[in-house]
Amino acid sequence: MSFMQVEDLKVHYPIRGGFFNTVVDHVYAVDGVTMEFERGKTYGLVGESGSGKSTTGKAIIGLEKITSGRIIYEGEEVTNARRKRDSAYNRDIQMIFQDSHSSMNPKKRVLDILAEPIRNFLKLSPQEERKRINELLAIVGMSEDVLLKYPHEFSGGQKQRLGIARAVACNPKMIIADEPVSALDLSVQAQVLNFMKDIQEQYGISYLFISHDLGVVRHMCDNISIMYKGRFVETGKREDIYTNPKHIYTNRLLSAIPDIEPETRNERKLERQKVEAAYREEQHKYYDEDGKVYPLKSISDTHKVAMSVDEKERV
Amino acid sequence: MENNNAQTVDKLESQSSPPTGIQVILREFKKDKLAMFSLIGVILLIVTVMVLAVVIDQAKIMNIQLLERFTEPGVRGYILGADEAGRDMFGQLIIGAKNSILIAIAITILANFVGIALGIIMGYYGGFIDNFFMRIIDFFITLPTLMIIIVVITIIPSYGIMDLILIIAAFQWMSTARLVRSKALSEARRDYISASKTMGTSDFAIMFKGLLPNLSSLLIVEVTLSFAGNVGIETGLSFLGFGLPPSTPSLGTLVSYAMNPIILSSKWWIWLPASLLILIMMLGINYVGQALRRAADAKQRLG
Repeated sequence: MSFMQVEDLKVHYPIRGGFFNTVVDHVYAVDGVTMEFERGKTYGLVGESGSGKSTTGKAIIGLEKITSGRIIYEGEEVTNARRKRDSAYNRDIQMIFQDSHSSMNPKKRVLDILAEPIRNFLKLSPQEERKRINELLAIVGMSEDVLLKYPHEFSGGQKQRLGIARAVACNPKMIIADEPVSALDLSVQAQVLNFMKDIQEQYGISYLFISHDLGVVRHMCDNISIMYKGRFVETGKREDIYTNPKHIYTNRLLSAIPDIEPETRNERKLERQKVEAAYREEQHKYYDEDGKVYPLKSISDTHKVAMSVDEKERV
Repeated sequence: MENNNAQTVDKLESQSSPPTGIQVILREFKKDKLAMFSLIGVILLIVTVMVLAVVIDQAKIMNIQLLERFTEPGVRGYILGADEAGRDMFGQLIIGAKNSILIAIAITILANFVGIALGIIMGYYGGFIDNFFMRIIDFFITLPTLMIIIVVITIIPSYGIMDLILIIAAFQWMSTARLVRSKALSEARRDYISASKTMGTSDFAIMFKGLLPNLSSLLIVEVTLSFAGNVGIETGLSFLGFGLPPSTPSLGTLVSYAMNPIILSSKWWIWLPASLLILIMMLGINYVGQALRRAADAKQRLG
C-alpha cells in the first residue's frame, strides 16, 4: 500500500521579457508527473540533463514551488502547504544531495552537521544526541574522531557517507537521492550504493533515486520511470523497462549503455546506429506536434508507456 | 619510537588540512611588514588612549586658566602646551581621541549591525523583500548625507554624543547592506542552505548561524575599513562645527582651532598633534584593512 502519492505534479518557471518585463512564456520543467511510493521500495527517475528529474525531487521535498498538482502524504495534502519547518512531513522526507561537498556548511564541524536534523526534529538531551550521532557514524562505518573535523577534510566518498548519515538521522520514511553517486569514482560508487541498500533493508526506507546512470539504476531500483522534457515517457518495473522497452526514447537510452566487451564492439555499434536511424524516422509518432510526450497509457498492470490515441488502438 | 610516529602523524595532519582563517590572516601580516607595524601601532595607540583617558581628570583639564594662555610645550609640566584658554593640550588630545574613537566604534557597530542583518535578509529571501529594501537603499544613497546631518544637528535643540552617533549611523548602513546582500545572494543559493531547509532549521537560524559565518572574511574587512571612515566623518563634522559641542573635546574640535590664522601660523602645538594622530590612525587602520582584504581573497594574498 502506498504511503505517498504525487498527482499530476507541475513546476513551471516564467520567462520574463519585453518592455514591461511581463511573463512571455514558461519553462515546463516538470509537466504532469504522477507517482506512488510504497514502503521499502526504490523508485528510479532516469532522464537526460534538463529533463526535470532534480526539479521533481526538489518539488516533492518542498525546495521548489509547485505550480499545480498535489502531493498527498499519509492521506494529508502537503502541496505548498505552509507547514512548520520541523513538521512530521519534513522529518519523514529527507534528501541526499548530488554534491556532498557543497551540501555541508564549510564552517561547521561534522558534529554540528550531523546534529542539525536531530536538534530540530527529535529534541533529545545532549547525552542522547551524542549517542545517536555515534550510532550514525557506526552505521556509515566511520570512527568517532571525525566529529571535530570540518567537511573539507574528507574525501568524496566519506563526505557522501556523512550526507547519508545526516539524511537517515531522524529515521525518515523516504529519502530523495539526487544523483548521489555521480560525483564519485566507480569503486566508491559501489561502496556507497551497497551501503544505501543495507540501510534500506534495515530501516525500510523508500528511495526516490534520481540518476542518469542506467547501470546504477538497474542495480538499485524496483520501479523505474524514464523522463523526457518534464514528462514520463515510460514507467514500470525494472524488468518491464529493461527487457520490454516500448517507447522509442527508452530504446535509444538503453542502447546507449556502455559495455566493455571488446569482441562485440562492432555489432553493438551497428545496433546503436540502427536504433538511432529508427529514432529519427519514427520520432514523429511518439511526440505530439509541439515535441512533447503523449500522456501515459497502461499496457500491463505495472507498465505504462506514453503514446498517442491511435497508437494505443494499434497495440 | 611510537611517540615519534605519533608526532609525524600529527605533523602530516596539520600539513594536509588547509590553513584556517586566522592562520591565513596571521601569515598575511607576517609577510606585510607595514601592515604588521600598523596593526601593532593602532592597537597600542587605542589602548594607551583608553588607559590614559581613565586616569586623566577631564573636569580639571577643561578648567580655564587664563594665566597659562598659549603656554609652549614642555613648560611647567604642559607636555603639549596649552590653548588660548590655558587648558592642557595633551589632556585634551587624549580625551578627544577617546571620544572620537568611541564614537567611531559605536557608529561602526550600529551601522554594520543594521547593514549586515538587512543584507543577509535581502540576499536570503530575494524576490520582493530584496527589491523593496534595495529601492529604499537607492533612495537613501541619493540623499546628500552631509547636508542632512548638518540640518538635523542644527534643528535638535541639545544634542550630545548619542544623537551624533545615531544620526551618522543612519546614513552609514547602506553600503554594508548592499555589499553583504550581493555575497549573501550567491551564498544562499548553495546546496548547504537547501540542505538546512530540508532538515527543519528555521529561516532565522539558517541566516544567522549558517550563512553569516560564511561571510565572515568579507565582514571583517568591511568593518575595519568602515571604522577608519567613521573616524574621519566624526572629526570632519566636529571640524566644521556640527559634530560634538565645544565643551566635549574631540580630534575634530582640536583641529578646528587651526581655523584661527594666528594659531595656524604660530601656535602649532594646538592643532598639529591632533592632525597627526588622525593621520596616523587612519593610515594604520587602512593598512590593516588592506592586509585583511588580501587575506580574504586567495588571488591577492602575499603570504
